[in-house]
Amino acid sequence: MVGHRLEMKIRSVRFFVIPAAILVFVTAVIPLIVLATSVIDKADIFSIWAKSPVRRALVFSLWQALLSTASTIFIGVIATWYLSRYQFLGRRTFIALVTVPFVLPTVAVGAAFIAVLPKALHHSTLAIVLAHIFFNISIVVRTVSPRWNSIDDQLIDSARTLGASPLQTWRHVIMPLGKNAIFSATALTFFMCFTSYGIITILGGPGLATVDIEIYRRAVQLGDLSGATVLAIAQMLLIAITFLLWSRSRSTELVLFRAQAISHRRLSLVPKCFFLALAAFFTVPLLALLAASLRTRDSWSLNGWKVFLGIQKQRGIDFNMWQAIQTSAKYALIASCIALPTGIAATYALSNRRSSHSRLSAFVILPLAISPVVIGLAILITYDFQPFDFRSSWLLIPVVHAAIALPFVMRSALPVVEGIPNDLRSAASTLGAGPWRRFLTVELPLLKPAISTGLAFSLAMSLGEFGATSFLTRRESRTIPIIIASLFGKAGDIPRTTGMAASLVLIISTAMIVLAIDRKSHT
Amino acid sequence: MSLIIDNISFSYGDREILNGLSLEVPAGTTNAVVAPSGSGKSTLLRIIAGLLTPSAGSIILDGKELSRVPTHLRSIGMVFQDNQLFPHLNVYDNVMFGLRMAKTEKTIAAKRCSDLLHLVGLTHAAQQSVVTLSGGESKRVALARALAPSPRLLLLDEPLIGLDNELHDRLAHDLQRILHATSTTALLVTHSIPEAEIISDSIHRLQAPIDSVQDGEEK
Repeated sequence: MVGHRLEMKIRSVRFFVIPAAILVFVTAVIPLIVLATSVIDKADIFSIWAKSPVRRALVFSLWQALLSTASTIFIGVIATWYLSRYQFLGRRTFIALVTVPFVLPTVAVGAAFIAVLPKALHHSTLAIVLAHIFFNISIVVRTVSPRWNSIDDQLIDSARTLGASPLQTWRHVIMPLGKNAIFSATALTFFMCFTSYGIITILGGPGLATVDIEIYRRAVQLGDLSGATVLAIAQMLLIAITFLLWSRSRSTELVLFRAQAISHRRLSLVPKCFFLALAAFFTVPLLALLAASLRTRDSWSLNGWKVFLGIQKQRGIDFNMWQAIQTSAKYALIASCIALPTGIAATYALSNRRSSHSRLSAFVILPLAISPVVIGLAILITYDFQPFDFRSSWLLIPVVHAAIALPFVMRSALPVVEGIPNDLRSAASTLGAGPWRRFLTVELPLLKPAISTGLAFSLAMSLGEFGATSFLTRRESRTIPIIIASLFGKAGDIPRTTGMAASLVLIISTAMIVLAIDRKSHT
Repeated sequence: MSLIIDNISFSYGDREILNGLSLEVPAGTTNAVVAPSGSGKSTLLRIIAGLLTPSAGSIILDGKELSRVPTHLRSIGMVFQDNQLFPHLNVYDNVMFGLRMAKTEKTIAAKRCSDLLHLVGLTHAAQQSVVTLSGGESKRVALARALAPSPRLLLLDEPLIGLDNELHDRLAHDLQRILHATSTTALLVTHSIPEAEIISDSIHRLQAPIDSVQDGEEK
């Protein structure tokens, strides 16, 4: 009897995945099926690859992603090692500095690199690679440092007493212990760089287009929906394979470590210089952004800010920034209200039941494996005709943002949910708490860190989202990233400085939201 | 392969842990240092292994002063209190680790490794993951691993702590047997006199400094 009731409970928890599944169905599965079946002209499946812009985009996507990933992993691994094993002045600040960029708005960061780099490098592979490093180092730090943080100092000592030189210790102990995490970080970084869109919109140019840019160009500028769709599906398959490798490596991670406080070893001169350089790398672009927002070709001026704030009118600039801020804030709040409960409920349903539910969990994480641009395109095509007139609803964009944030909410919630011991639930039950009381009084307080991290993620994701939004946006409800991109597409000093001002405001507000919420959860 | 510890001092900040300690371990013998916890026993072993630098004094192995020799070149093996087996390697590869670092020829290394596994009675567990081992088995693997590269000196840090009584006695006798069989020069630190009596040839007592620290704070 008791066994039967327990069975019932486990089954009912499973249903918590339904809202997330609906979200993913509406925003990804149905649109992708429609995309794959409705608009493809069979001839394009083969002929598209002969077109030179497509080939160039493929080659460029691949090689800039390889270059960006290799540099990111190299610098990220060194930074992670010192951050997870050494104590030094400013370490905490540095961790914040390194981990925040990942959630910053891509177009705004692109603008920051325009501001900091000399004009000759504005539209160059180097600029793109640097911006990708800026973004993705945080992936390495976030994934690898928990692993390395938990290596007992004495384990390294024992390697040394067995005759391992520092280099051998790295090769045979430290790297193998971080291997799975580094592999995960590599796959995710590669995916992020390969499908880079916002950054390339700002920093790319002739010959510097990724597949995502080419998809957008075909679909929106050339009206070649069939060609765009073939590209989108081919890219999706490639990413699905990368993603599969990624999730496989995650499941074999070693977890049998003793947690331990950070040791008090001091940094020597070389790593100190490394961190100084890295700190400059993360802060100088933002300072340059501020300077660039105040600088026209030959003098200092507040015109950019005046246009941004709507105090001054400028011909050719027809947006209302306050309205854009309102739109962005509204979308971010709605997206979080959807993504957070849906994501945490789904995490509950999927945690601790890996084997039978792994397929289902892959399915909820699906949007992570599909570039937002493809989602945008698919939704544009699917919901544009009756009976689904979802396209004209203003709710569409925040719902899509929620779907994009969902995997991140779940990723941050999973360790917390799985960290709640089952015995604790049982203890609450034996003390007379029913399922709801137990949830409210025991589990909810313990879930707090997951809720705040998830909230920070979903707010930031929505505020900065550009890929899908660029397809779905409407004139009267443009978000800040859309406006920034359009400003950088215009010629002249005023649009540029206005774009810089908007980028700075967007970066600072996103960073503050993330730091405030994420910090609070740790104190 | 004799070890001479000459007038070693060590302090953490202004807390003095070791003050002018001298000790001699003749070649081929097992010596024990017996002292209460917090008296700097582990610190002493870490200094000998080169994991800590003493504030004064010197360590001399086979007539050679070691202060400028880094840990991995000292050829001093160590069995850690909590074993510190590599979780990503199986039993066999843990024992092989030191031989691989020394780039020992493969067939010789494999032979040495299986000999040692036989000596510690774990031949059957060679391919097992170390995270599945019991406390006693882990200790045997740690011992075999430390002995594999034929260190000039073996250090044992509270090797039998935390084991239940029966296992404790059996393993103490095994240790004594294995150290003799391999004629290893060894230095053992422990808080237990009976344990030291079983394993070692001679015993040194160490007094706790007045302002003693807990083991945990030493690290």
